Amino acid sequence: MKRRIVLLIVAALLLVCFAGCQESPVEPVEEYTFTYKNTEVKLNALAAPIVTALGDPFTYSETTSCAFNGLDKTYGYGSFYIQTYPKDGQDYIYRWWFVDDLVANAEGIRITSTKAEVEKAYGTEGFDGKNSYTMKQGNGKLIIILENDAVSSIQYEAIV
Amino acid sequence: MKKKIALITASVLIFAVLWYCLQALLMPKYMDNKEGALIGEYYDNAGNNDVIFIGDCEVYENFSPITLWEEYGITSYIRGSAQQLIWQSYYLMEETFQYETPDVIVFNVLSMKYDTPQSTGDQEKREAYNRMTLDGMRWSKSKWDSIWASMTEEEREKEAIYSYVLPLLRYHDRWSDLKQEDFTYWFRSPAPVSDNGYLMQTGVKPYTTEHPEPPPTSYELGENSWYYLNKMVELCKSKGTQLVLIKAPIESPKWYPQWDEQVEQFAEENDLLYINMLDCQEEIGIDWNADTYDAGLHLNVYGAEKASRWFGKVLQEKCGVADNRSDTQISALWAEKAKAYHDRKAAMEAQKNKETL
Repeated sequence: MKRRIVLLIVAALLLVCFAGCQESPVEPVEEYTFTYKNTEVKLNALAAPIVTALGDPFTYSETTSCAFNGLDKTYGYGSFYIQTYPKDGQDYIYRWWFVDDLVANAEGIRITSTKAEVEKAYGTEGFDGKNSYTMKQGNGKLIIILENDAVSSIQYEAIV
Repeated sequence: MKKKIALITASVLIFAVLWYCLQALLMPKYMDNKEGALIGEYYDNAGNNDVIFIGDCEVYENFSPITLWEEYGITSYIRGSAQQLIWQSYYLMEETFQYETPDVIVFNVLSMKYDTPQSTGDQEKREAYNRMTLDGMRWSKSKWDSIWASMTEEEREKEAIYSYVLPLLRYHDRWSDLKQEDFTYWFRSPAPVSDNGYLMQTGVKPYTTEHPEPPPTSYELGENSWYYLNKMVELCKSKGTQLVLIKAPIESPKWYPQWDEQVEQFAEENDLLYINMLDCQEEIGIDWNADTYDAGLHLNVYGAEKASRWFGKVLQEKCGVADNRSDTQISALWAEKAKAYHDRKAAMEAQKNKETL
């Protein structure tokens, strides 16, 4: 009897220790992309080949997260910025955002596009009722911000 | 029958003891990510602090209580933690009043830019940040309420509340990452990583380029942030403590003028002192080539000492905080704290010089 109880206790503790340890397989998802000069930038993609293909950035800066190791790197290419996040010793695309109207996204939306153009491209589902639209795809989101009914910011961000 | 009850009781006790031992082993000791140890270090220093700082890295990296003591005789403690959100700050404030009633509580307003646990971006990091603030708190109603206010949607869906109550459920899979420190500090606390809540950095990495970030969705600070700031005001009023709002003199992440105006207006309406130290960088004497260890995101010890020298004057002149240096008992205690601080600084500088050579 005593032995059975001891075994039961040990089994219960082992169950707690090992439960949920098995990682579920990751299914491939379609992530947001942005193409600039034939280079495809993709959320959560390995950053090195993308950054190399885009060429030397105009600006570059690094930031650390409080309490976490590794650097978030931001590359400026004039009309847009790309930011990466570190994971397991490599950098991945965390987000990019446009800063002028010289670039457009896959749906042709750019800074200065109208609210009507945004709604034609994405519908009204993602509207927050105030001034922004948030759409989700794969492991990322697209945020479009309006000012005076015109697009003032376009941001793509990985959900990690 | 009696034998059966005794057997069951013994089994439950053995299970509880084993659970406790496993939990103590598997919980992170935060020897690398020292920020995670900050909140828990307060309890050995609670009581008799005239000033308490509450907030995120903008308090625990940028102000030095030892400098405030040495220059002004101000006793203070920093209840800071990495990416501490305003609801966590509120509950830490509430909990602080269980231990002491300071003359002044200083709250850094940067975290008001985050209105919900969801709005902080990276959910995995958010959860880790939550743990760094919450796991170190002693059990109280404040901790319980803070957990509920802090959980992300994902955590709620997973019913993570149980893992805050029984952290073994969260850290059970750390068994494969155990290091020597986990065994060394299995049943005892490591030496404090901070000096009264200040996390020292002696490195120097000049601030030369701006850190770009996308614009916020809204320039209006969120309702939830105002809700907790109002609660802070009420709580401090009820305890007779002066609440001072500050924005630390750090330019990144951005603190937008629109946010600044809203806080300024709130402070005016509630008769609070609000100081945006970004406007006082020159007066403080911050040299961005020498006073930051991570290219402008935080100050190093040299910058923190400058900011504290400047802010101590404000605390004394505008808030009337006392100079305690004539009190022999307090002086003796703070002499010990100051010695530990200077020893730590010397050791870190020596290590830095060794690495440079």
